[in-house]
Amino acid sequence: MKGTEWYQADEIAEAYDDKRFSGGGQFIDRREKTAVRNALGPVADKEILEVACGTGRFTVMLAQLGADIVGLDVSGPMLAQGREKAQAVGVDDTVEFMRGDAARLPFPDDHFDAVFAMRFFHLADRPVTFLKELARVSAGPVLFDTFNLESSRVLYNWLLPMGSRLYSRQAVESLLADAGVDLIDATHDFVLPYGFYRSLPTRIARPFRKLDRAIGSAGGGDRVASVSYWVVE
Amino acid sequence: MVMKESLMDILCCPVDKHDLELTVDTKDDEEIIEGTLTCTECGEAYPIEDGIPNLLPPDMRDEAAA
Repeated sequence: MKGTEWYQADEIAEAYDDKRFSGGGQFIDRREKTAVRNALGPVADKEILEVACGTGRFTVMLAQLGADIVGLDVSGPMLAQGREKAQAVGVDDTVEFMRGDAARLPFPDDHFDAVFAMRFFHLADRPVTFLKELARVSAGPVLFDTFNLESSRVLYNWLLPMGSRLYSRQAVESLLADAGVDLIDATHDFVLPYGFYRSLPTRIARPFRKLDRAIGSAGGGDRVASVSYWVVE
Repeated sequence: MVMKESLMDILCCPVDKHDLELTVDTKDDEEIIEGTLTCTECGEAYPIEDGIPNLLPPDMRDEAAA
């Protein structure tokens, strides 16, 4: 998996949040967090696992909402960032970070109330194996997102240093079938690729966000969306 | 924040899913800073490094060394 090497470097981990989620990127951060909250529903006192948690953006947010949460990632430097974040907002007691492999999770079957992985499947070389393993340790739903083929993401994808896998609706359907899970819910978002928003200062990004929302909420928005969120069980 | 002893209730060996046994080298209250988790079945040892348990299977541990 490409991300396995890319995200190991200390300097990548330390700069990750700044690079991705400042300026125009704040918009992405907020909208992704809302998508995760909506998809998971109330999380207070629930046991949740986040796979490929990186710097713990979602891990820490869900801990603040009362979840008992484990954040797992291959990268030690990324987890060190997550730990600092958790300490800063005082949720150390309900968050555990650990290094692990998404294809061989160190948990028994059906242990968690919910399991999720964000921005993971576009880097996954064996998506069926990963999805099966996520479903194995969840007694409830599994949430993940995909970047979509047949969207503006296709062009942007060429520029990425770590490469990225895009999914058609059909590819997702066969992934679910091969992993033996059923689709519970799907939502679609972002007409323009993330990199576009990140490259803009906040003030300039605003009109484009309005445009993005307008196109996204108009009929047929699903077909041009660049990101989809899938809830399976 | 470092690994808590209560985590032992949920962790298992990533390879064969059997129970792990904890050996603590450095501890601070209920939190483990350095130690080892050893599988009671296959004997594989997983290190706890700076409070973060490393449960990467042995074949990934070296390649992903940070």
